[in-house]
Amino acid sequence: MADLRIDLAGIKSPNPFWLASAPPTNTGYQVQRAFEAGWGGAVWKTLGDPIINTSSRFAAVHFNGQRVAGFNNIELITDRPLEVNLREIYETKKRFPDHAVVASLMVEPKQEKWHEIVKRVEAVGVDGLELNFGCPHGMAERGMGAASGQQPDLVEAQTYWVKEVAATPVIVKLTPNITDITVVARHAVKGGADAISLINTINSLAGVDIHSWNTIPNVGGQGAHGGYCGPAVKPIALSMVAECARDRGVGVPISGIGGISTWQDVVEFMLMGSTGIQVCTAVMHHGFRIVEEMLDGLNNYLDDKGLASVTELTGKSVPKYSNWGDLDLNYKVVARINEENCINCNKCHIACEDASHQCIDMLTNADGKAFLHVREEDCVGCNLCSIVCPADGAIDMVALDSGVAPMTWNQRQKVISGLNSSYSEAEVV
Amino acid sequence: MSAYAEFDKERQEIDALLRQGYVITGIREDLNGAAVQFTSSGPGVNRVELLLLTADSRKYVTTLIFAGANPAKPLETHM
Ligand SMILES: Cc1cc2nc3c(=O)[nH]c(=O)nc-3n(C[C@H](O)[C@H](O)[C@H](O)COP(=O)(O)O)c2cc1C
Ligand code: SF4
Ligand code: SF4
Repeated sequence: MADLRIDLAGIKSPNPFWLASAPPTNTGYQVQRAFEAGWGGAVWKTLGDPIINTSSRFAAVHFNGQRVAGFNNIELITDRPLEVNLREIYETKKRFPDHAVVASLMVEPKQEKWHEIVKRVEAVGVDGLELNFGCPHGMAERGMGAASGQQPDLVEAQTYWVKEVAATPVIVKLTPNITDITVVARHAVKGGADAISLINTINSLAGVDIHSWNTIPNVGGQGAHGGYCGPAVKPIALSMVAECARDRGVGVPISGIGGISTWQDVVEFMLMGSTGIQVCTAVMHHGFRIVEEMLDGLNNYLDDKGLASVTELTGKSVPKYSNWGDLDLNYKVVARINEENCINCNKCHIACEDASHQCIDMLTNADGKAFLHVREEDCVGCNLCSIVCPADGAIDMVALDSGVAPMTWNQRQKVISGLNSSYSEAEVV
Repeated sequence: MSAYAEFDKERQEIDALLRQGYVITGIREDLNGAAVQFTSSGPGVNRVELLLLTADSRKYVTTLIFAGANPAKPLETHM
């Protein structure tokens, strides 16, 4: 069995599975039950000046029979007194000394406010701090959460204030509600962040009721924007993790968050540069015990791959993620239809005909039976037909040997400018 | 005409010029495609321009230079 232990910037945990700061980490009762179930760490529900929540605060987007494809909330940070949370953190840490307990913090952007809360939570024995610069609603209106997280200089300054007094590692949690997340990540690192975590929730409105014309959710007929998370946001989160992981100016460990619900998701986030991961929506949907399957799956996967430690996964796919301009324009794949697996639904033909390059022909064989055939020379290898095909193994995307050297867009542009500049202006066409 | 046939037609025109001893000496790209200048230095200097419309032939013509198949001098100096 592989070693699942991780060390995220000095925060040690028996496995990479942490609960994200959210309703499942609201109380000591919950966090302790989660640890019993197998979770390796927990980021406590964000602490700060206690707030008041609205009733009716969650909503979900169900898609084609899949419940909770995406999850939306307008909940704020903890509404419990700091003293109560601190007592429960202390008790939890005493019962589970080897598990990671991280305090999520959010206060006004004032040095003395940060100093005060850091000292108080560290006094009860937390293993690290996570600065919540990500909550997109409610707190932002008061200059906290995403309002701070969208201003790189404020992220840097607040991280710096925390680092002035913090004795434990500091993770900065980033908002995805920004054009380029690496800018904020770099400023967090300049402020002294030991690690970053991402993503927090994405600005969202779950829906509008077409009969009552109310928003979903609504509070007595009024709605406000919320934060989106769950499986639907995973690709966005993964790309943001990857961008931070490959940015040399970031260069600190990453705690990956966003839409993780299976052990395969965990592997993907680790391959793309995460040292550990955090989960919220999947636990809200299925409960703490989903971690059992995640632990089993990850263990088996590591054994199958012959890896002794889960840490060997971190960042392995990052070098495979570059810029569009560095991709090989001469690489060519084409679609091949396997008639024995095809159920003749024609979806691929329609997709190629209506939305791609019109190269799947409907033909009839000698027995009068209809079949589909890809004109490979016209196929651009867009993958659309294989994406819409409902039958496993009916369409393979096959790489062809183009017989020519790889050439990227950037190399091509260099060739053209080199060619043109070697002739006088008059001679260049 | 299929996309491949359009490309093939343009490629044959390129190949024919190269076989006649022309080399690619300039490429200007604009909204319509690539205007490619071919030059032959036989007796006197001859220039021919081909307007390539298909993506595949615009790729092909630069791959030729990139891979060293175009005997134009700029290849050695600028690669
Ligand atoms: C109801 C709810 C409340 C949340 N509260 C907090 C919070 O207090 N602090 C925080 O940093 N993130 C909070 N989050 C964001 C999560 O920690 C996490 O970043 C986000 O949900 C993405 O992960 P997921 O797709 O696994 O849910 C909350 C999310 C939800 C759904
Ligand atoms: S890969 Fe794209 S272009 Fe090729 S057959 Fe399928 S849909 Fe058509
Ligand atoms: S979409 Fe798949 S199953 Fe349907 S006709 Fe095409 S290859 Fe066959």
